[in-house]
Amino acid sequence: MTELDDPVGSAMTADPDDRDQADLARLERGELEALEGLYGRHGTMAYSIALRITGDAGTAEDVVQEAFLGVWRNAGRYEPGRGSVRTWLMAIVHHRAIDSLRRRRATVALPEGTDGTTPAVLALPDVWNEVAAGLDRDAVQSALGSIPTRQREALELAYFAGLTQVEIAERLGLPLGTVKSRMRLGLLALRAELVGHRDADG
Amino acid sequence: MAETQGEAMTCAQATELAAGFVLGALEPSEMASVRAHLSTCREAHPEFEELGAVVPVLARTVPPATPSPDLGDRILAAARAEQTKSDEAGARAALQPMPVPVPTPAPWLIGQRRPWAGFLEVLRRPAWLATAVAAVLVMAVLGAWNLQLQGQVSGLTAYRDGVAAVLDAAKASGARVAVLSPAAGSGPTGLAAVDPAGRLVIAMRDLTPTTGAQVYEAWLIGADNKPVPAGSFAVGPSGVGTLAGSLRGAEAGVVVALTLEPGPGATTPTLPIIVQGRAGSSAGVIPGPASGL
Repeated sequence: MTELDDPVGSAMTADPDDRDQADLARLERGELEALEGLYGRHGTMAYSIALRITGDAGTAEDVVQEAFLGVWRNAGRYEPGRGSVRTWLMAIVHHRAIDSLRRRRATVALPEGTDGTTPAVLALPDVWNEVAAGLDRDAVQSALGSIPTRQREALELAYFAGLTQVEIAERLGLPLGTVKSRMRLGLLALRAELVGHRDADG
Repeated sequence: MAETQGEAMTCAQATELAAGFVLGALEPSEMASVRAHLSTCREAHPEFEELGAVVPVLARTVPPATPSPDLGDRILAAARAEQTKSDEAGARAALQPMPVPVPTPAPWLIGQRRPWAGFLEVLRRPAWLATAVAAVLVMAVLGAWNLQLQGQVSGLTAYRDGVAAVLDAAKASGARVAVLSPAAGSGPTGLAAVDPAGRLVIAMRDLTPTTGAQVYEAWLIGADNKPVPAGSFAVGPSGVGTLAGSLRGAEAGVVVALTLEPGPGATTPTLPIIVQGRAGSSAGVIPGPASGL
């Protein structure tokens, strides 16, 4: 990977989010070159997420392009208090990718209106940003791998396959309440695991 | 569509839906109800933060993949093309205000505020010609109408530029224009143009200003009734909003609609629809070389 997802020595250099915020400010002023900086730091991660969700390289690149253009057009809408630029950007990529997935699926199977709305960069305070930023992929995967399989399945079907709780219940032949409960418990379990990792890492 | 839960959701009901909400896995009506609750309820909702904070972490589990080496350049090129286009439209609008039909009285008439003064003078001097009185009356009514609809000159300039950009797009062969207005009653109005290359340009006025991460999202609804997001924009105190978006495969008979979303990237519209309009042939609406296919 050419990108430094968690730049080595970030503790000694400027906070990457400071650079991201500076680039956002430049974008807001119409300085498009700032896209290079943002893309350089986050393009690979953005593409990785888009590809994981859409499963198609061309679609994934379209998603990434639209997401970065969306960041440019909405640069003024970013609120620093609600999480890092990176988290915001990845949420946009995620939503665009799920959107693309649902549109494609809708033409095949889904009747109108059964696709759920994603929380659209809902900007829930990402109090965990630093915690998450300090974890590498292995640590997160290990945490995800350690929560009960059924809970993990519910989370993955929602986050990566873009299925709603109702759709998941139908697909798995489960009562809706069971799916809701698995999702909630899954998120709580993952959170607890991540806190454990963080504490273990010191 | 799932049954609507109504706006008056309790904190307990909202909290019960928190996990599905932060994962975007609720039905559209539920998503909308929870959003409405969160945006109006003054109570703290720690569960949403607690669960929501975990969601971005899921993205970190994806296998690393490498995009085409030129993707970054393509993104920059696309942004530059879009920026140039909107710059050009703005420059043209500044140079030559275009007197064209719009759904509400033309903004350039806002300059005619004086007719009010003239009208009062006329009343004081009843000897003036009846024709002059009639002319002044017409202008006064138009002026008042405008002032009522749109009070902010800076917004007007932005709106005029936006309209010019729409008309510019409408000149393209095969382009279609939609007049955007609320389904009923008064409210925001504007124009949209969709061209065959998939360019969508919108100019809106009298929109409620956005707050926080809120954006107005434009949707194109084709024959299959599926709303496809086509770009978003924020709106300041002027109430004016413009959009230059693009998407592939703009269909015939497309409906353009706007919704207010809590942030960019919405995948399905949050009801209600603020304004909508059907894109028809620009011939007859816009004078100029828009005839022929």
